[in-house]
Amino acid sequence: MKNRNLPNGTRDEFGTRAEIKETIQERLFKLFRDRGFNRLTTPILEYADVFSPLNLENVRPYQLLDEQGEALVLRPDLTLPVARMMSTTGIEVPAKWYYGGDVFRLNKQLSGSYNQVTQAGIEIVGYAGLKGEWESLAIAVQGCEINAVKDLTIELSDARFVDAVFAQLPLADPTKQALKQALFDKDLTRYQQLAQSLANTAYQPFISEWPWLFGAVDLVMATVKTLPDQEQLQPILTDLERTVQFIEAQTGDLTVVLDLSRPTPQSYYTGMAFRGYTQSDADYLFSGGRYDKLLTSFQKVQEPAVGVAFDVDALADRAAGPVDVVQTLLYFEPEQWSVAEAALKKDPNATLCLADSLAEAQAIARSQQMTLVNLAANQEVGA
Amino acid sequence: MTIKIALTKGRVEEQVVPLLEQCGVDVSGIKHKGRRLIFDEDDTFEIILVKGPDVLTYLNNGSVHIGIVGSDILAEQQNSQYDMLDLEVGKCRFVLASTRDYNPHQVRRKIIATKYPTITKRYFQSIGEDVEIIKIEGSVELAPLIGLADAIVDITETGTTLRENDLQVYADLQPVSTKLVVNRLAIKQYKPQIKQLIEALTQAKLTLGE
Repeated sequence: MKNRNLPNGTRDEFGTRAEIKETIQERLFKLFRDRGFNRLTTPILEYADVFSPLNLENVRPYQLLDEQGEALVLRPDLTLPVARMMSTTGIEVPAKWYYGGDVFRLNKQLSGSYNQVTQAGIEIVGYAGLKGEWESLAIAVQGCEINAVKDLTIELSDARFVDAVFAQLPLADPTKQALKQALFDKDLTRYQQLAQSLANTAYQPFISEWPWLFGAVDLVMATVKTLPDQEQLQPILTDLERTVQFIEAQTGDLTVVLDLSRPTPQSYYTGMAFRGYTQSDADYLFSGGRYDKLLTSFQKVQEPAVGVAFDVDALADRAAGPVDVVQTLLYFEPEQWSVAEAALKKDPNATLCLADSLAEAQAIARSQQMTLVNLAANQEVGA
Repeated sequence: MTIKIALTKGRVEEQVVPLLEQCGVDVSGIKHKGRRLIFDEDDTFEIILVKGPDVLTYLNNGSVHIGIVGSDILAEQQNSQYDMLDLEVGKCRFVLASTRDYNPHQVRRKIIATKYPTITKRYFQSIGEDVEIIKIEGSVELAPLIGLADAIVDITETGTTLRENDLQVYADLQPVSTKLVVNRLAIKQYKPQIKQLIEALTQAKLTLGE
């Protein structure tokens, strides 16, 4: 075999890192199960069409062809397969699913980012009310808590907000589009040029602050309240305010902030969106929201849906590694198998030594710095 | 915790340091830098000198919070972080240039040499033309002169190098200047400090521009 290297952007995970990830995933799965969610496993390979609602500028999947020449992808996302499954199996709603697994996205070559990342999350299909968002958020908070995340910040936004504001701005459509793009890119230089025509209007206090409209809830809300027409915004603001109160009533060390300047995460989002991070993380720990249009790319009937997904790799990156435990190596004679099994059960850090001679067992214990227990002599012979 | 800025070393560094100094950032270390690359004299901002093409690599990984880099590199690397402020220094432009006998309307698949294949591809796509792109690492002007390519896409500030090599400009592609780019999560984590820096830089631009 000539090529023994890993493809760019992939990695082997073993030892501590693999164990941390497994523990995190198990804790999350238990949380989901305890709340009555059902496990859903979908294939890693799907037809490329399943992911057509994704913005493919940001998400480049690995592609291959099936035997009929149809484009297949390694799944770049875990939410759309849930929607595909719901629309093709006739499962009754409401339904609550949990999933976990790897997603694959092509990143820039040699940039240090990984193309295979692990996610775990839930989808609630069939509940249209705010309680859906709240259960997702409760799971987000508890999922962070059981994984020892301190100082969590939860950021709320709403897919409807930006368009609701643009609807009331006295600007021509092309200017609106350009201004929206500059707002989303936070390109302040261009944004200020485009917003100049609103300089002496009632919109000025809001417009000048809009690219910075994220952070503490009261400050963001105070800026929003300067907009002349509040009526269209009211349902969105009420949902956000009620949800802020809901999160603040949760136990745990957390801060709620708003971001009313960001674009919709994906085109199928229809309402509230949320993400979580801490001051020290380089990535968001979870993200989710309401996407009532999720199923419409698969079926005619719209079905309310809301969900949240944890970035298991980001949670693992911030987790403190477990203290290295010295493993015990159990050496035994072949006829002592049952004795060895009994010793194995007693010591959670033990493993069977399958060497055929004591000398070989001693050499392994020395080179791997393990404590050797010689069951043949029924005595400890040292590390 | 300090906020880390990756600053492109060389010309960008020379043009941006006075702006940072005007904002009250302690740049005494960079002014007498020797061989150092990390400068932590300031209480709020730690400045790291890197090569232009590496700025986004550090920024995308979250290793630094802010990058200061030319828009040529941002466009070539298809930046996805927040390109927040035009510092209006290091201004130049992307041009299509070639020898006098070059005919831009000639009907055939042209060969274009450039250090910037993404920008070149995007430009020719926008005018509905398909070209063969050859990536060159330096002295791009040579390519049309010695017959490697029909024309080049390159950056020019005053056009002197082009003129000295007897090349002329056939099209203006896009302007280039130095930009302040912010990591998408860092802006949430350090909003007050980053906002203050951007406001101070906007003011410094005006003061030093006068």
